[in-house]
Amino acid sequence: MSQTLTTKQTAIGGRTFDSDKLLAVVCLIVPLIGLFLFFLYPMVIVFLRSITVEGGGYGLANYQEILASKGFWRATQHSLLMGGATTVVSVVLGYIIAHGLHRCVFPGKNLIRVAIVLPMLAPSLVQALGLIFIFGRNGLINRFFGLELEIYGFWGLLISNTLYALPQVVMIIGAALVLLDARIFEAAEVMGAKPSRQFRDLTLPGVIYAILSAAFVVFIITITDFGNAAVIGGDYSVLATEIYSQVIGQRNFNMGAVVGIMLLLPTVVSYYIERQAMKRQQNQKATNIQPYVPRFYGKRDVPMAMANYVIAAMIVLVIGVVVYASFVKLWPYNYSLTTKHYFITLAGGYSSLWVTIWISICAATLGTLAVFVLGVGLRRASAVLTQPIQVLASMPAAVPGMVLGLAYILTFNSTSTPLYLLYGSAALIAAVNFYHYHTQAFMTIMTGFRQFPSELEEAGESLGAGLGRISFNIIAPFVTPMLISIFFFLFMRSMVTLSAVVFLTTPKLSVAAVTIMRLDDAGLTSQAAAFSTAVMVVVGLALLGMKGILVLVQTHKARVKGA
Amino acid sequence: MYLTVSNATKHYGQFTALDDVSISIEQGEFVCLLGPSGCGKTTLLRTIAGLTEIDSGEVSLQGKPLTKVPARQRGFGIVFQSYSLFPNMTVAENIGYGLTIRKTPQAQIDERVEELLETISLPQVGGKYPGQLSGGQQQRVAIARAIAVDPSVLLLDEPLSALDAKVRASLRIEIRHLQKKLGIPTLMVTHDQEEALELADKIICMNHGVVVQAGTPKELYQNPKTRFVADFMGTSNLIPTARIRDEMPVLLTARPDGPDDAYIASIRPEQIAISAREDGTSTVLSTGFLGNLNRIEVDSPLGEILVETHGPCDLRQGQRVSLEILAEACHWVANDEDGVNP
Repeated sequence: MSQTLTTKQTAIGGRTFDSDKLLAVVCLIVPLIGLFLFFLYPMVIVFLRSITVEGGGYGLANYQEILASKGFWRATQHSLLMGGATTVVSVVLGYIIAHGLHRCVFPGKNLIRVAIVLPMLAPSLVQALGLIFIFGRNGLINRFFGLELEIYGFWGLLISNTLYALPQVVMIIGAALVLLDARIFEAAEVMGAKPSRQFRDLTLPGVIYAILSAAFVVFIITITDFGNAAVIGGDYSVLATEIYSQVIGQRNFNMGAVVGIMLLLPTVVSYYIERQAMKRQQNQKATNIQPYVPRFYGKRDVPMAMANYVIAAMIVLVIGVVVYASFVKLWPYNYSLTTKHYFITLAGGYSSLWVTIWISICAATLGTLAVFVLGVGLRRASAVLTQPIQVLASMPAAVPGMVLGLAYILTFNSTSTPLYLLYGSAALIAAVNFYHYHTQAFMTIMTGFRQFPSELEEAGESLGAGLGRISFNIIAPFVTPMLISIFFFLFMRSMVTLSAVVFLTTPKLSVAAVTIMRLDDAGLTSQAAAFSTAVMVVVGLALLGMKGILVLVQTHKARVKGA
Repeated sequence: MYLTVSNATKHYGQFTALDDVSISIEQGEFVCLLGPSGCGKTTLLRTIAGLTEIDSGEVSLQGKPLTKVPARQRGFGIVFQSYSLFPNMTVAENIGYGLTIRKTPQAQIDERVEELLETISLPQVGGKYPGQLSGGQQQRVAIARAIAVDPSVLLLDEPLSALDAKVRASLRIEIRHLQKKLGIPTLMVTHDQEEALELADKIICMNHGVVVQAGTPKELYQNPKTRFVADFMGTSNLIPTARIRDEMPVLLTARPDGPDDAYIASIRPEQIAISAREDGTSTVLSTGFLGNLNRIEVDSPLGEILVETHGPCDLRQGQRVSLEILAEACHWVANDEDGVNP
């Protein structure tokens, strides 16, 4: 056949130029340029600004000033205390739910699963908003009982942070519980171990590193979260709000940078511990797991069911009250229903919602493409390169959104480089959203790539396929479920994230989460609730869309696999 | 010589996968690379495919160097142990993939796929996905995919190892017929000596990254050069020089000169005649019935000896017997101290 002949001829002609190598290099370089420009470089700038002293030059004067200020120490103390308390409470509650879902028997598990997802559909400040509707000065409780309960401050923040963190805990611990092999429990059963004994000796040790990992994840998201603290923190200042007040309140960017760096320290340490714990948890993973199917055991399942219902009800209540309040004429005086709060009176109206959707689609599309291309490039890169690139790609998760946002404003609002052109553009907000969540997206794609058998790639190569063709025809179909998950993950996070974008919005360009915060600041709480509801609807639809598409992909795969 | 590998050397850190290996394949020849796992045979095959780069040495096709040519430009066909069909493509798309890449018109591809599906006796499966086929069927499709582009060399990496015994035996015959019909020079990696004996025109026996012996299956079986080959190709009674000198000096005539432990006698179990005799010097230790043959372990002056006979056998454990070994049956092999059963 003539085609083969030409192949043979070019082959034997000893063509040394290999277009594949070029493509592999491009696959590596382009995402790396992105990481350098939109992550590493801004982080260097924020560090340099933190050591830039008044009147120019570098020094530690800013740090001395901050360390000498009472406000900073109070905020640090509050952040650590809040982080610790939230961690303890949400790990305990999250474990109860994860254990209930995976290892107990009671009805209504699907409803609990839905309830646990709710906090992820909205910007973090929605929990705070819900609590204010219930416990605030004009909340249900105080009005009804004529009390003077104060929800602003430690307790309000603790509850809203806990609700915000719960889904993460349930997911991390649940994923570990699922991987416990049923056979070890059957063996213990046969040896005469009671359920309590099995729990102590097998279940808990089996997921201990997942619990540790979940704890540090909660700690990180709590000390870096801005939305809840801004809305319900009141006088209880934390580091995240401290950065905000330095930058926005006092226009003191260098001081903001110092506080940012100080916030970065515990986050990086926690992130490192979390990664180590996660690695150990994953090392325990056995192959060919026999899934555990719990049988009804009253002494365990009745109390567990109660606890699960109560926790789920709390979440539904706090989120649900926001939706309800958005339709109520005048909370808490007149409960007749209306849609008037959906006519946003703040300048811009819903434009920020549409902009956010657009930004989220861009961040999700380009982000998914970028991590896929990086994954392809890494397959062909030498081992010397892959290690440092993987480390770099995993770093953004350790950086709080506030710090990244601040780094962006310091980098892109400076007229000294052409990067200034991006300032105030939707593209920049899309970039901060993607790079803020770069690590999670990258790790998901790497999981997919690790499962991809290299023989498929080699078979394609031997048939004459170049890297581009292999990536499109063979690798991409294989990792499709991961690509879908990454796309929707980036979309949903971009829709709701507040901390990273709060510094990047301008009077002309705002995003949904910031608009909600502005509405709440302006005392238009019901409109804030209405806007939140609109965001939750969009993100909820996206989530449903993702589930639907994944089911389609799975059924196609199952069909392809035969009965 | 059609395809040659000369002085190929490959290290993985401290481990030497290939140590100055040279082999050649003639036009139309079926060559088996045989050896235990870790002997370097798969590395050698991957080197030829262009999937692994060697540290030094040269691969050439019809005298032209290939070393710098990437795998996708070599125009070879490869089949892996794990089938490696693209799960997202139908059987027909899999088989036609190489032609699609070569921009063959679709009608021509369809025709070729049809023809190949006939060849592998699976005419109905074109529209199915690989996951819907059995292992044996998938491997046949993988072979069809590899030969669809008329490869200049066909490389088979343990293609039968993942299949169960019956399928393996039938596919083995199919591969042999197909290769003879198409005349594609073929290199197959295997650790199964029976497979190599049945399929190969030439067997290249490897161990520890070096070629120990190459030749026709007959040569390797009947005339092993080293203890490793004698032991790896079938079973052998390996008897040290001193024992032979004491008990059966007649077998020493063919022995090359050299110190006692330089050579060792190799005697195939089926080349030994066994007969029940009250005054025999040997005793039956155990007998095993394997259907078409009997395996008898004997305690003899030469040591413990394994004998195989065909047909009915009425020897019992503990029975006195005598063994008869012809001088031609005894092969003196280099004692490379690397037998599987030392």
